[in-house]
Amino acid sequence: MSAVRHAISLRGVGKRYKISPSRSSRLREVLSFGKLKHSHDFWAVQDVSFDVEPGVTLGILGRNGAGKSTLLKMISGVSQPTTGEVEVNGRLAAIFSTGAGFNPEFTGRENAMLNGLILGIDRDEMLERFETIEAFADIGEFMDQPIKTYSSGMRSRLGFAVAVNVNADVLVLDEALSAGDAAFKKKAMRRMYDLRDSGTTVLFVSHSLGMVQKFCTDAVLLHKGRMVASGAPDEVVDRYRELLEKSDKPKDTSHAHRDRQLDYAIEHEDEEDMPASPNGSSDGGKRGPRQATGEAEIVRVELLDESREPVIEVPTGTGLTVRLHTRYAQAVEDSTLGIVLRDRSGRLLFATSTALEGAPLGFRDEGESVTIDFTFGVPLRPGGYSVDAAVSVPGTAGRILARSKETATFEIVPGMKDRPVRGLIYLPTAVEIHDQDSEEQGPAT
Amino acid sequence: MTPYTTSANKNLAGQFFNGLMTFWRRRWLLRYFLHRQVTRTYKRSYLGFAWAILSPLIWVFFLTLIFSEALGLRFREIEENPNLNFGLYLYCGLLPFLAFSEAMNKGMNSIRGNSGLVQKVIFPLELLPFTNAIASMIDKFFGIGALLIVVLAFGQPLHPHVLLLPLFVVLQVVFILGLTYLMAVFGTYLPDLDEVMRPIIRGMFFLTPIIWTPDRLPEGIRWLVDYNPLAYLVEVYRDLVLRGEIPGGLSTLYFTLFSVALFIVGFTLFVRVKPRFADML
Repeated sequence: MSAVRHAISLRGVGKRYKISPSRSSRLREVLSFGKLKHSHDFWAVQDVSFDVEPGVTLGILGRNGAGKSTLLKMISGVSQPTTGEVEVNGRLAAIFSTGAGFNPEFTGRENAMLNGLILGIDRDEMLERFETIEAFADIGEFMDQPIKTYSSGMRSRLGFAVAVNVNADVLVLDEALSAGDAAFKKKAMRRMYDLRDSGTTVLFVSHSLGMVQKFCTDAVLLHKGRMVASGAPDEVVDRYRELLEKSDKPKDTSHAHRDRQLDYAIEHEDEEDMPASPNGSSDGGKRGPRQATGEAEIVRVELLDESREPVIEVPTGTGLTVRLHTRYAQAVEDSTLGIVLRDRSGRLLFATSTALEGAPLGFRDEGESVTIDFTFGVPLRPGGYSVDAAVSVPGTAGRILARSKETATFEIVPGMKDRPVRGLIYLPTAVEIHDQDSEEQGPAT
Repeated sequence: MTPYTTSANKNLAGQFFNGLMTFWRRRWLLRYFLHRQVTRTYKRSYLGFAWAILSPLIWVFFLTLIFSEALGLRFREIEENPNLNFGLYLYCGLLPFLAFSEAMNKGMNSIRGNSGLVQKVIFPLELLPFTNAIASMIDKFFGIGALLIVVLAFGQPLHPHVLLLPLFVVLQVVFILGLTYLMAVFGTYLPDLDEVMRPIIRGMFFLTPIIWTPDRLPEGIRWLVDYNPLAYLVEVYRDLVLRGEIPGGLSTLYFTLFSVALFIVGFTLFVRVKPRFADML
């Protein structure tokens, strides 16, 4: 394992900014040489650690202000982390906004060269690649016109063309694909797939969830500067959707339908332009409007111990009951209630539902309330865990009637007399020892 | 490609030489950037680069016209040389002064004025003050060319000492570079420096023998010229172009030492604090 060098390695990376209430207070603070303190600290990114292996395509998700751009800037070396360490192996090319560093008075060709040189490419190498870049940008005779005559689309096409054609080992893109028309986007995506398949590590910020699901091999979710989930794009995107939903509960239900349509349009904005993933790793049927319809409501999620008392700390290996109080706002033909168990980093550990467990909920009338208990053992290693729940309609994957409003959390603590859990989970294990001389015994049980 | 770690901490000398190496490693970027800086001023105009020599010519022409023809009589006896044209005398002082004031002003804004390059891309920031300083010096070089043309046009002898001028220009470049790097650091940390420096630069104009001659100075305030590096440069230009004299050896030595020290201090400070620039804008 240690022989493989990570493309990117982050260890406890944080970035602090000082926020001053006003100009004059900042001056007073400067003049007092540290005796006065008016400003307060703001951590744009805090304690983020992850490794990115070569060839991985990492999507970085998060709401505005979650720290995505700050993180990318620290990875690419534009700004320095306040705490922790960033290590990057190989040549890195970054686009924070397409065409940064372009000079409007100079021609596209001159600017492409300048841009390449800024990215650290040799001049000879740049000259070799010029044809490719020119063909990719595909702006015709404008290549020899000053940039000031360009449309904004042409400008970003040129910037993008340079960045994806310089053979970087690590490519950092901060919403770089948001400009350009459908045809160019398609070409850009195709190029991105090529880069991915040729082993380029790509870091990628996008608000197009569909794009992240289709294109990325991994994803991380930032929330208020902290990494709250990492793993497979589908799971991280689901977590992100939950996050969005919690922070944006529609107050007025009459807008709920339009909101859903908008959500769908926004999420799928870029997808029709994208060629399907060549390796077909992502399934198209999974996506759909994922916001809860409000036909049902999960009133409360309770966590109970073996004696059905509410718990926060659960000894490892003991039984846990997740009790869900649901109420139906409308009559529902059939529904299923599912729960999801995650660890602190958002990794999905276990999920089940009434349908999977063979306990159908059946027809429920308007206003009816149901309480459902899920009881299972938690042979997990000590740490923080969370439970989310949702009511959905069986069959039509995606139509979700209700989601739990708050995530229920609990802590696994070491059991009194049990052996410690090594790894994520304790799997019930039988050990048999077969001595060499007892020949008649078979090796399997 | 060597991996980089942000916590890499080298000693001062290492940082200094590493910074110097950047100029060689990124020489093509430097070249294109310099070209961009030099031509930017003239890119929009019809006559283009011809202005590099035309505008100083017009300058000298007007200075000569005003001071020699209109006010000439009053200054005729300057330095006991009846042939000396006060317009040229003034222009010789103006050239190093303009180089100085541009270095101060452009230096202060070399980081703030390029926030796109500081925050949006990974740019070797050492190049920014350097290209500013060199572009402004190239500009002054055309000014020197214009000066020599006018000297010849007025039928005055061109001393062979002029050939030494490039040597002293190199010294001046070291001085200007040191100043620019120092001002780049201060200007980035203190946004108000712009306002503070404006009257100081203006004051330097009057404290330097540009519109007055150093030999008229009372003995008590001689130090104003002796300890003023700008006064040294002004006198060097006049010695070589107008008087046909070799500048003093001791003052040249002092100026050289001062310039080299200024550059080492300015550049070291710059490479030391440059990782923080992105957060200061």
